[in-house]
Amino acid sequence: MTVRYSELIQPERVHGSLYTDPGVFAEELERIWYRTWVCVGHVSEVARPGDYVRKAVGTQDVIMTRSADGEVSLLLNRCAHRGNLVCEDARGNSSSFRCPYHGWTYRNTGELLGYPYNQGYGGKGKLSLGLGRVPRVDTYQGFVFASFAADGPSLKEHLGAAAGELDRLARLSPEGEIELTAGWLKHRAKANWKLLVENETDGYHPQFVHGSVFSVTGSHIGSLYSDKSTAVTRDLGGGHSENDLRPEFRRMGTPMAWFGTSEAKVPEYVRKMRELHGEQAEEILIEGAPHVMVFPNLFVAEISVFMIQPVAVDETVQHVTAVQLKGAPDMNRRLLSQCVGSVGPAGMLLADDSEMYERNQRGMAARMPEWLDIRRGVGRERVDENGFRVGTANDETGMRGFWSHYRSLMEREDAQ
Amino acid sequence: MEQRIIASEFAEVAVSLDTDANGPRLRIEDLRGGRVRHLDALELESVVWLPEERLRELLDPSAGRWSDRPGDE
Repeated sequence: MTVRYSELIQPERVHGSLYTDPGVFAEELERIWYRTWVCVGHVSEVARPGDYVRKAVGTQDVIMTRSADGEVSLLLNRCAHRGNLVCEDARGNSSSFRCPYHGWTYRNTGELLGYPYNQGYGGKGKLSLGLGRVPRVDTYQGFVFASFAADGPSLKEHLGAAAGELDRLARLSPEGEIELTAGWLKHRAKANWKLLVENETDGYHPQFVHGSVFSVTGSHIGSLYSDKSTAVTRDLGGGHSENDLRPEFRRMGTPMAWFGTSEAKVPEYVRKMRELHGEQAEEILIEGAPHVMVFPNLFVAEISVFMIQPVAVDETVQHVTAVQLKGAPDMNRRLLSQCVGSVGPAGMLLADDSEMYERNQRGMAARMPEWLDIRRGVGRERVDENGFRVGTANDETGMRGFWSHYRSLMEREDAQ
Repeated sequence: MEQRIIASEFAEVAVSLDTDANGPRLRIEDLRGGRVRHLDALELESVVWLPEERLRELLDPSAGRWSDRPGDE
């Protein structure tokens, strides 16, 4: 049966079957996850030659490697002989991989180095086989992206205005680089991946879902998303969206307030930043980190980085790690503890969200009403000076942007 | 003789400095296969200078351990 996306995705509502229909999920893999640019990891995870980590693109098992000449490759974790998994460990260091089934051995660039008892194949080097390679790999600010499409928009084109948000994250480092070296937590949710993506820049839920955390900790985050907030939700185009909290932080005008701390707590970091940036340091230290959802799976939530991995129509793994700023050890300790406190195993934010994702999926099993509403704030949107659609801090502008792009990808007639 | 383990999912070896001979040697034991090899200073230096291509050839399973040519192990 052909899914008619133009009927299921409307400007102010989307059909529930988009989250529950296995047929839709199968088409998403082909038209989104195996076509557009998907974030896989960060170059700092494979910092040295021979380093490798196991990753995922959609439901594909991928090995990210760093070869002797420094090149980062994305290899499909499937032996060219009998299709066995070649790598089992989550991470390691090895210039070559040997399949445990029959000993076929590959360079960490995917090249087949050899196979046991080669006379059965007529000798050495008789097979033009190797590990599959993701056709296009590119990086931006160290984030590694994959595209299974041999041709198509460049990564820069795909990122569009979202690239500036990643720049904004990197400039918080005294060395202009972030690192994702704190290790990853994996949160498995029995929910469709799009519920997670939509939630990331939904400014309507924090005061409800996270209300208890805000009240216990005295956090100012809730007020950033209130109706009185000057923060905005921005549709950055290309399915990307952000909660731009800078107007509120500028109003406060206090360096490090974005991080819920004061400069007295991280004097070395602040000193380095002022030394490096001069007068512009104040702007950087006041505006802080972005809160941006990069289509389809990279979410930067100020202090944490999330990568969303779809597993099934009703199952998603959210990989989370702490942002680490190169050259800022005093900040990094705090970033890690704040990240663990909010999204760690006993963290107080993501546990709330995960409960909502799963309740959402269960709720949608009900037959009526069939639609989900995404109209909040549609009548009060404006276009900003850069031509982007902007809503208030708690409007569903980001969701509408996501669905508009999603529809354009899913409707493409040349889809495989 | 302090022993260190160098392991990955693909191989596990124990390395230590052997001083039983007239000069020091690196003792390498394949913990999965049980075989031991000693490398002296000159052999180790040669490994350091081995062209990448030659090292790569050694990783071919048919290059030694799993060879089906007469005379190979």
